[in-house]
Amino acid sequence: MKGLRKYLTPFAPDQSGAVSVLYELGGILVICDAGGCVGNICGFDEPRWTQHASAIFSAGLRDMDAIMGRDEKLIEKLASAAGKVSASFAAVIGTPVPAVIATDYHALKRMTERKVKLPILTLDTNGMELYDRGAEKAYEELVRTFAVERYPVEKGRIGVFGVNPLDQSDLYAGDKMCRILQEKGWKQVNCYGMGAGLEEVRCASAAEKNLVTAPSGLKAAKYLEKKFGTPYEIGYPMCDVWLQEWRNQGVTFAGKKVLILHQQVIACSLRREIETLGAKAVQTATWFMKKQELSGEGDMHLTEEDQLEELMRTGGYDIMIGDSTMWEIGGEMKEKENLQFLHLPHFAVSGEIRS
Amino acid sequence: MNKEIYIEKMHCIDSNTCMKPERNAIYYTARELAERGKDQVPDELLSSTHLIYSSPATLAFNSPGAEGFGVKRAGLAIPDSVMLLVAPGCCGRNTSLVSNMQEYRNRFFFLVMDETDIVTGRHLKKIPAAVGEIINCLKKKPSVVMICITCVDALLGTDMERICRKAEEKAGIPVRPCYMYALTREGRKPPMVHVRQSIYSLLETSVRKGDVVNLLGYFAPLEDDCEIYDFLKVAGVKKVNEISRCRDFEEYKTMAQANFNLVLNPEARYAAADLEKRLQIPFIELKRLYQIEKIENQYRALAQVLGFKWDDTVYKQEAENAIRSFREDFGPLTFAVGECVNADPFELSCALLQYGFRVSEIYGTVSAENFLYIRKIAAASPKTRIYSNLEPAMLYYDCSELPADITIGKDAGYYHTAAPNITWNRDIQPFGYRGVVHLFESLREVLV
Repeated sequence: MKGLRKYLTPFAPDQSGAVSVLYELGGILVICDAGGCVGNICGFDEPRWTQHASAIFSAGLRDMDAIMGRDEKLIEKLASAAGKVSASFAAVIGTPVPAVIATDYHALKRMTERKVKLPILTLDTNGMELYDRGAEKAYEELVRTFAVERYPVEKGRIGVFGVNPLDQSDLYAGDKMCRILQEKGWKQVNCYGMGAGLEEVRCASAAEKNLVTAPSGLKAAKYLEKKFGTPYEIGYPMCDVWLQEWRNQGVTFAGKKVLILHQQVIACSLRREIETLGAKAVQTATWFMKKQELSGEGDMHLTEEDQLEELMRTGGYDIMIGDSTMWEIGGEMKEKENLQFLHLPHFAVSGEIRS
Repeated sequence: MNKEIYIEKMHCIDSNTCMKPERNAIYYTARELAERGKDQVPDELLSSTHLIYSSPATLAFNSPGAEGFGVKRAGLAIPDSVMLLVAPGCCGRNTSLVSNMQEYRNRFFFLVMDETDIVTGRHLKKIPAAVGEIINCLKKKPSVVMICITCVDALLGTDMERICRKAEEKAGIPVRPCYMYALTREGRKPPMVHVRQSIYSLLETSVRKGDVVNLLGYFAPLEDDCEIYDFLKVAGVKKVNEISRCRDFEEYKTMAQANFNLVLNPEARYAAADLEKRLQIPFIELKRLYQIEKIENQYRALAQVLGFKWDDTVYKQEAENAIRSFREDFGPLTFAVGECVNADPFELSCALLQYGFRVSEIYGTVSAENFLYIRKIAAASPKTRIYSNLEPAMLYYDCSELPADITIGKDAGYYHTAAPNITWNRDIQPFGYRGVVHLFESLREVLV
């Protein structure tokens, strides 16, 4: 049945993706909810939350606020908080409640800007889309708002879009990405949203190139290409770590049919590597955004558990790579001889962080 | 009245962010609050007047399901029940925290809503079929399917009772609604009140037995050695029912035989009133207290109502001895008390002050009900600081101004990271004299 989940808990929603991008940038983040959404975001989807504090708030909406559409009350609360908390910007992040009452985010932004002397970002996330949509909106809004000035291009400076804990399932993903790119010769690496601050976003036009490591970063990179002529490349340069891990486990890919389930950039980058190892066929499937420019023949976009069950049953795969929580769906498939399941954590799916 | 805001030293939360350091957490002293009275609680201590800060100290407020018993866990208190959460994906996101626990495996299912569902309401038509599909995929037929809905359906005005009836007709087993409406948190019937009514709604009229009593209020049992069981035994009660101790659905149904209900948590008052109305089971309300004298009075009053005399000397002495020996061993310690605890933090602070300890700070939600305790605290310790965990400036809280020797509650432990801490929020519930004994045992454990 469409929408029915019997095995998997819902994946990280768009509002969590938006927060993930903005979390480290020193803004006031207001989740436009009654409290439960902020609890889900902080208590589950934002692993950095327990490590260092961020000015993240719930709007504390109550039924009459929603029914009466009391936007001015929210703005008053935000103005009051801005008087108590130092911040570089304020962002209002949507949830199902404003989606149901059709909150006008443009009007909310304009009204808030009159009362609060900070740059205001509004993101029309709705809790029904997935984290990558929210992250995409946040990256785009971020560069549109802050990367407005043209700076001279600095040779050896690279911007990275798409590094965050929800994608990489790693609290140190930003540092690791910097190290790898520095080893490849880049002098200054700015992972927007994980490591790089707001000042680096402001100077985004100084980058020689942008790297997109998740589909969520693509729109922002395209925007910067159009506005400043910054070229971008899509790819995930850290697949070696997993391949080495599987090699150590004795896994071989030669002559095998492989299915990779992850976000599209990681899945496609991994596919390229596995193909060079002699795999017979490598197919990708994703629950998240499927960008045309990244898709190969037979790549699938999943929305329902039934689709994955069918794919696992009829695909004739020798190896399946993905977050292990998804193998719950497999049922009797797990018993099939010669079928290998390789764990590739995806925080947005399971909430598992790599140690 | 002049608003006095005491300023703490600055505290820079995170050098990576752009937070300026000259900011301070806001608190009021017990004396100030007592002078203001319950009708003039300052805005900083009223969550409805400001944005609600989200820190690990506020998780239980923002997302009760993330810790302890929220609506999702509570809704599955009925033995052999399963839950279908009908909501946008975001509402079910943290459920894996619960569904990974052994007792909840294969008990949560989701019907994930999209934007078209909101516009057309078509998700509601799918519920009966979804219930059928869930029953078919389970090895054992569930006793009841709880349909949990969230803020979205609250705003859409969904009549879930009607939909549950339809699903029930199709499935042939009970289907009941439970409402995870965070929007109505401070309303007349908040989610945790509603869910308590839902889980007792399957009880049907039965022959009442004079020696059966239900304890209502918690989703986990009281501590096994709680003296209330002895008390009820002396009162002639042969069977004490708690929903969490029911082994199966049949045993759950015997709760309808109770002569009376004892309500141990005010959030169960509505459920008890419903049972009184539907099944004519009267109820008596008791409070969880840590002040020994008050515990004694409460038992005395209850015994009087039940028509017998109870000698509680042994239990009382045990509690007094636990307190005395703790104080002798560790001296008049300074406590910081949080609200994420199995206690009313203000009542607990009153008790600690009465026992000769100091309470430097309380992190709590001030309400008309606990003003009685605030006045007592003001008399005994006027400078005790009272904070709201939810106030935005708590981002700048700094414990170095007023260090504590020991803290109670996860929130208090979050602020005073260096001090020994007991979280005191286990699922198994402390109550009465033995609750006091176990509190001091736990405190002792972290100090030795």
